[in-house]
Amino acid sequence: MLLTYITAMVLVVVLTIHLLLESPLTGVQLDATLLFPVAKANLIYFKVVFGLLLYAAVIHGVNGLRVIALEWFHPRERAWLLSLLAVMLMGFFLALGSYTLLTVA
Amino acid sequence: MAKTTRFKSGLLSSLIPFGFNVERWGYVVHRVTGVILIGYLAAHLFETFQLSLGPGAWANTMAALHSLGPLEMVGLWLVAGSALYHGANGIRLVLNEMFGMLMGKPIMPVYPYSPTSLGRNQKIAVWTITAVVLVLWLWAGLYLLAGLGVV
Amino acid sequence: MDKITMEVVRSDGNKTRYDLKFRKGMTVLDALIEVREKQDPTLAYRHSCRMGICGSCGMNIQGMPRLACQTQVSSLGKETVRVEPLHGMHVIKDLVVDIDPFLAMHTFVKPYLIRQDLKERDRSDREYRVLSEEVERFLQFDYCIMCALCYSACPTVALDPYYLGPQAIGQAYRYMADPRDEGWEQRVDLLDEAQGVWRCHVAGSCSLVCPKDVDPAKAVQMARMEILKKRVLRKRAKAGSPLVSVAPAAAPKQGTKAPPFDFRREGT
Repeated sequence: MLLTYITAMVLVVVLTIHLLLESPLTGVQLDATLLFPVAKANLIYFKVVFGLLLYAAVIHGVNGLRVIALEWFHPRERAWLLSLLAVMLMGFFLALGSYTLLTVA
Repeated sequence: MAKTTRFKSGLLSSLIPFGFNVERWGYVVHRVTGVILIGYLAAHLFETFQLSLGPGAWANTMAALHSLGPLEMVGLWLVAGSALYHGANGIRLVLNEMFGMLMGKPIMPVYPYSPTSLGRNQKIAVWTITAVVLVLWLWAGLYLLAGLGVV
Repeated sequence: MDKITMEVVRSDGNKTRYDLKFRKGMTVLDALIEVREKQDPTLAYRHSCRMGICGSCGMNIQGMPRLACQTQVSSLGKETVRVEPLHGMHVIKDLVVDIDPFLAMHTFVKPYLIRQDLKERDRSDREYRVLSEEVERFLQFDYCIMCALCYSACPTVALDPYYLGPQAIGQAYRYMADPRDEGWEQRVDLLDEAQGVWRCHVAGSCSLVCPKDVDPAKAVQMARMEILKKRVLRKRAKAGSPLVSVAPAAAPKQGTKAPPFDFRREGT
């Protein structure tokens, strides 16, 4: 649960930065940010922000799903199985996101 | 002696806040927005992954999204609202759970009872969050829905 | 209003309606007693003290968990009063629910003073010293009457029957905050489980429905803080309140003169 609190606080800060950078406050229109060269340049330029966002969001979100699943299914002795599934899902999303961040150059 | 199913329990019962306090409504909305956001996160990761496959893949993805028509921007608007509420309410929950703030101190109960955990400080936090989120969500709506001719 | 209708959910899940003449000051429990005495002796419900102290008559009234003896029919504002068993619990019959799981959670958190020295319990000439400001830290949570209304109102209990519940966690905190108690570490370990304190998401419904203002939501967050203090700040338990003598400071020795106030002369 400590992980949920810490990732939550990181997310609030980093997501605010992400949304501000993509918002009309920077004078950029939504259609323009979706063009391939602009989207690619943003991804490369803000790699660190997106990396933090990726890890915090995936850990926070998948852990939240795990909590909901634990409450709904209340598996007791097989709670480790839910945790294992959560870790695998986290691994998958982190791998996907990290691959994107590392290969786009 | 007892039956095997509990009376009115389960997912629906936990998500029906009618008649309860505003913090209970907050719990329900926090859960629902959390599930919306994790679904969006998965979709967003797949979408941005297309950038690594080149401009052709990216263009196809954008075309597929644009083919949704107004649903695309309405969906993004809902996600924006979910993120705003989940984040703001999350801050309140971190203050409550991690720092024990807004809960008040142990008191001597005096009738008529009014629990301090649902008292003035908590209500100020809840309604401030609601107001700020609504304002920012409407602003996001102006930004996202402008192209649809809705605003 | 002249008459009311009690709409009670029975064991088979059907609703039975009973019409009664409304009397000023009538509580839901008064109405149920009248139904059982004059109309339907098969109606089952629990009650005892009729004054909001035993916690027996907890039931769901107009969609909220309440004590039937403390709920005035007139306060509900409707002529039809909907009564159901407490939500989230197994039904034994009609409005009587199985509170064994609820009591088991309470027992699990060791709701009694734990001391390391077992022999001191045999010292009748000693007592534990507790200051007024120390009592204020846990007295509110001591008012719990174990009515299970908070347990029934909790959305996590509705989902997960193995969650300890606000009452048990609140009572665990009551003893953690008690300076006489030396079981702090044991209770922290009991609560620091997946189905312990971490399942609470501060919905606050427990505090809303509590008839004694025990404020279990506050107790749960305070218990959580104790766990975080142990995990993050590495807090360790302190020794419990010392045992002090109960003998008065200036006790007269045997054979000395009589005390200043002669009880034998009083009223003779």
